[in-house]
Amino acid sequence: MANFKAMRIFIVGALLLFLVSCSPEKKPDDQEFLKSLEATQEKTGVDEEVINSILDQIPSPLEISVLLKESGSKFDGSLLNHSDNLSKYNSNFKKALNLGVFGTDLGYINIYGQNQEGLKYISSVKSLADDLNLGQFFDIETIGRLIANSKNLDSLLLLTTLNFNHINHYLQTEGRDNLSVLLLTGGWIEAMQITCQVAAKKPSQELFEKIGEQKIVLEQIQLLFSFYKDDSTMAGLLKDIEQLKSAYDKISITYTYKESTMQIVNGVAVIKDNSSTTIDITEQHVAEIRNITNAIRTKIIN
Amino acid sequence: MKKIISTALFTIAFCIGSSELSAQCNSESFANACIPKLSGGFNFLKSYKVDGVQKDKVEFSYVFTKGTQYMLNVCGGGGATDGIVVSIWDKDRNKVASSKINGQVVSAIAFPCNATGIYYIQYTFETPLAHCGGSALGFKKG
Repeated sequence: MANFKAMRIFIVGALLLFLVSCSPEKKPDDQEFLKSLEATQEKTGVDEEVINSILDQIPSPLEISVLLKESGSKFDGSLLNHSDNLSKYNSNFKKALNLGVFGTDLGYINIYGQNQEGLKYISSVKSLADDLNLGQFFDIETIGRLIANSKNLDSLLLLTTLNFNHINHYLQTEGRDNLSVLLLTGGWIEAMQITCQVAAKKPSQELFEKIGEQKIVLEQIQLLFSFYKDDSTMAGLLKDIEQLKSAYDKISITYTYKESTMQIVNGVAVIKDNSSTTIDITEQHVAEIRNITNAIRTKIIN
Repeated sequence: MKKIISTALFTIAFCIGSSELSAQCNSESFANACIPKLSGGFNFLKSYKVDGVQKDKVEFSYVFTKGTQYMLNVCGGGGATDGIVVSIWDKDRNKVASSKINGQVVSAIAFPCNATGIYYIQYTFETPLAHCGGSALGFKKG
């Protein structure tokens, strides 16, 4: 009888142990991270899949940096946020926004191969990421090694892009997509600010159109913020975004579809896109957008 | 006693079964394997996990920009694409690009975008039991 009881305890214990091992792993960092989030960041009640699918369609700020470089625009470090500002960011709201800002700055610096500048910015990025319990996504030693050698530019771009993608994915799977929205918005505003400043110094139709077509991205960002309109922390920024949207409402984008032509060349489907967009934007529109963008960016970085 | 053992066995079998089910499609490893396959000159943007087990299609969206050339590649088990076809559709659901041309399926699309907008990236499956793969998106100035 005693043997039977011992056997029963053993089986139940083994079963419990097995069930625990079956459950998804929860790192201690996760607990800390959840605790560290501000009380105001409540669940939106909106399908997270909808928010995540909108987040995923926002283009990388790196695309604009590449365009600027390849259009012949010179590197200008004065356009970027200062790492001295880091101590000003005391809330998770500000930290997430400025992680996005510094992320865009780092991408801009990397594209231009400004390695020494890059070291300063990667430490700012790492510091903010650590504060948000996201530091595990940055292997500072590897990044530092890649920065030290200008031949590693491609690997550096790949690694930093992967790190930011992993952060966004992690925040979304953790159900903290509001931080992901802030990170993305900070990065987008910084890219807008850089483009507007470059366009002011060296105006070109290509840059004006680049600024004009951001209307499509802004509409998606506005949509994202609308899910958090009851969150007092997010509401202030939503107002600013709506003001920028009012300026963008004066710009029209006309899309014309025409069937593409496709052929296979060396195992790749090479497409000729025959569709087109026409962007109706003037220098005056760009000036208004630049002023509002700068005002929002100043609020974010100070 | 018998009841306890059978409950234990059932639970263990259930746990193993469900973990095997979720491991049926390791789309993340396919997506990661696709990144270095982007052609030279293209900057990596995103990787996509194509987990189409028990689905007809898998879809994502992205804002493509005029004047930028994008490359989308596909990686699957078995063959290069394992019958996974990627196609790009505009916001009005007009097809603008496909990796299947005249019945031939290739592993990558080069898409020089001429109209900025939201596009849908859609993965469909030609091989009945192969609905698992990965994909990577890269860009360069067009």
